[in-house]
Amino acid sequence: MEVKKSKQEHVQEGAQDRRQERVQDRTQESAQDRRQESAGPAQEPVQAHLQDCIRSRAGYGLLLAAICVLILLAAFFSVSVGAVDVDPASIFKIIVDRALGKEIFARAWEERTETIIWSIRFPRVIMAFIVGAGLSVCGVLMQALTKNPLADPYVLGISSGASTGAVCAIILGWFPFMGGYATIFGATLGAVLAILLSMGIATARGRITSSQLVLAGIATSALFSALTNLVIYGCHTGSDKTKTAQYWMIGSLSGADWGTTRYVAVVFVVALLIVLLFVRDLDVLLLGDDVAESLGVETGRIKGVIVLLATLLTGVVVSVSGVIGFIGLVVPHMVRALVGSKHLRLLPATVLAGGLATMLADVVSRVVMAPEELPIGIIAALIGAPFFLYLIKTGKRR
Amino acid sequence: MGLQVKGLDHHMGGAKILDQVSLTVEEGQFVGLIGPNGCGKTTLLKNIYKAYKPRREAVFIGGKDVTDLSAREMAREIAVMAQENPVGFDVEVLDMVLFGRYAHRRFLEGTKKADVELCRSFLREVGLEGYEQRSYLSLSGGEKQRVLLARALVQESKLIVLDEPTNHLDVRFQYQIMETLKKQKITVFASIHDLNIAAMYCDRMILMDRGRIVRNGTPEEVITEEMIGAVFKVGAQVTVNPVTGKRQVYYLPGIHAKDRCEKER
Repeated sequence: MEVKKSKQEHVQEGAQDRRQERVQDRTQESAQDRRQESAGPAQEPVQAHLQDCIRSRAGYGLLLAAICVLILLAAFFSVSVGAVDVDPASIFKIIVDRALGKEIFARAWEERTETIIWSIRFPRVIMAFIVGAGLSVCGVLMQALTKNPLADPYVLGISSGASTGAVCAIILGWFPFMGGYATIFGATLGAVLAILLSMGIATARGRITSSQLVLAGIATSALFSALTNLVIYGCHTGSDKTKTAQYWMIGSLSGADWGTTRYVAVVFVVALLIVLLFVRDLDVLLLGDDVAESLGVETGRIKGVIVLLATLLTGVVVSVSGVIGFIGLVVPHMVRALVGSKHLRLLPATVLAGGLATMLADVVSRVVMAPEELPIGIIAALIGAPFFLYLIKTGKRR
Repeated sequence: MGLQVKGLDHHMGGAKILDQVSLTVEEGQFVGLIGPNGCGKTTLLKNIYKAYKPRREAVFIGGKDVTDLSAREMAREIAVMAQENPVGFDVEVLDMVLFGRYAHRRFLEGTKKADVELCRSFLREVGLEGYEQRSYLSLSGGEKQRVLLARALVQESKLIVLDEPTNHLDVRFQYQIMETLKKQKITVFASIHDLNIAAMYCDRMILMDRGRIVRNGTPEEVITEEMIGAVFKVGAQVTVNPVTGKRQVYYLPGIHAKDRCEKER
């Protein structure tokens, strides 16, 4: 049976590739059709007008400024929400004092309050921003890599690999030499293994095509998910560990402190700066590998850069926050609809919007069941999925 | 210098798609590639612009082996207009044409005014003035095709390769595209379906059949009733158009050359 199948596959290789491409085309076409059909007559002018505004340089600046204001408001709100009530003035003073390292405002609050604000809530807000921004940037990169607007940071199986690594660390107690960082280490290692595997599968036939990447990602995800489940269900090591593992797999920011935040922040900033060097190549890459190549883009090199950066960034983000879904898919989508697909415009807006979305999701996850905290992944999916459906339905992508 | 292909083979899934293809396109010439569906035209073109990887010492552009050229060097030597370019993401028309200048820009260099002007002038040339801010995906098939032609032309390469540039176009735009091409001072190598269009514009024609080049010459030498019957399997009458002085093909399906002779008698 096996042998027969593989032989058949071999013969039909060419035909299959073509068929896949055709299927892809058809999906793209039908997506387009839907877009055109469903944009209601009343909605169209308003929407078009909004997009025209944002397309101008001033409009774009205004959009970024508006998101920044929202980010500040969300940050402030997020820091003030919690079991211990702190008045806004004190929060402001604490943050200014600590950030500047000087005592500008006289201390009129307890030591404990300062610790809660500065060492627990504030790094968490920053972490939420960076995690969201990082995932969204990776979403944009993966979409350029696979030429598929439905790709997300996890499309190559990074999330499943990271989960397996983290679960091994949490439940089986692997990597004891890393101490408190065993989970982070396990997740990073798992992410790297997953990406190596999926890239290995995708390159097996020489040239990497977009559909091969997606298929390789699916296979890798399935394999690592199976391993994760095997560890969780195969080892009865007590419900506490299983719960921790599950919590991690859904995605949570509860582990944020200055140490991990700084680590993620450095990786994020470096990765973003490098990505910004390649915005024009990314633009051309969206046209397809063959076309990009004929226009002069070294597609092999740029794809290598994308995979490397996206893997590094996603791996690091996932290692500290677990697998937060939907942010990396919905945010690039939304931003694309507003500012277009030019990466020089798309990336900055995506960074800000991704950060904002995650900060908001984090606040919600802490408030809805207070004093219990929900994993942020649940909130992200609960809000993100219906919103995504709404986007598809109204076809806001021009 | 132009373009040279020497003994090129191509295999796909066990079948031989190209069999010892050799040809030369002289600089400044307009050369048409004709042949029935599946004869290997697209495969040959893809080997030339390296969408497929030709072996060393098989394809030369301007005397240089294409396997030695980087993508950027290639893009400066040869512009490509392939059959279609399905895009999943939306791009403004002017940006789409500006992509053609990619190989002429240095790393991190911004968009030059001169480049934008060049793109606008070529958009005007293909009859798409005023389309600069339109979204590419909203265009009709013919408009898209002309945007892609403009993109290929702004590359300002000496050689342009086109794979059936007039496909899906109505008569007016078929001729507009060919006229635009003819006006450029570049070497053109294009696969063309319509034999009448090919005869009208080509300096030379190369005829392929089942992966081989079977004839190479002027339109007068290549377009004959026997050739159309033998290669395209359709009866035809070939005359000289009294206005243009070019070959004119009338297809006579179901009527073989021999029968016709008898009928005329």
